[in-house]
Amino acid sequence: MAEALILDSEAINALARASERAVLAERARAILAIALDRRALVRVPAPVLGEVCQRSRFDAPINHVLNDRGIVVQDLTRSIAQRAGALLREARLSSESAVDAFVVASALEFDHAIIATGDPTDIQRLAARHRKIRVFAI
Amino acid sequence: MTASAAKLSVSLPATLAKALRSRVGTRGLSGFVARAVAHELEREQLGSFLTELEQLHGPVSKAALASAKRAWPRR
Repeated sequence: MAEALILDSEAINALARASERAVLAERARAILAIALDRRALVRVPAPVLGEVCQRSRFDAPINHVLNDRGIVVQDLTRSIAQRAGALLREARLSSESAVDAFVVASALEFDHAIIATGDPTDIQRLAARHRKIRVFAI
Repeated sequence: MTASAAKLSVSLPATLAKALRSRVGTRGLSGFVARAVAHELEREQLGSFLTELEQLHGPVSKAALASAKRAWPRR
């Protein structure tokens, strides 16, 4: 199912609050620009919203990025959730890393995917056995 | 396709229509076209968003673009 750019919490936060996170935002904008050139889909796995949307009155910048900006929330399905569990087990990580596992499992739905993340360590560990996933540290 | 669907009438070049029917058949036509339209709309929206960010924060540096490009697999 095509090529995709997957954004994690730090990537979406950087885009939503670009003035406060100038360096991260520039790297996030750069990876988005290349995604556009390559006709890749841009997706935010739904569990990421559980990390970035915590107080509704402060969520406006996040909603701005997710409303008609070509960045689409990818629903969490049963198969993605079950795959995330298997990834945690393979990587010997606890459920504290569940959101990272959902991100990697969501990326595995595509033929190839780049995960843009502010914290590549656990993501790389979870994706280590999957060559069709690359990790981009913003 | 979502539960509620709207019918549209569109015209395509005959050769494109033939290739499309040959590829997806009559039954798969609506789903294929819906996915293609959704993808193009997303690309338009993403392009506009990047322009909006550039107007607010200036252009992305060549170094950042080069680093991002290296992250993707070669074609």
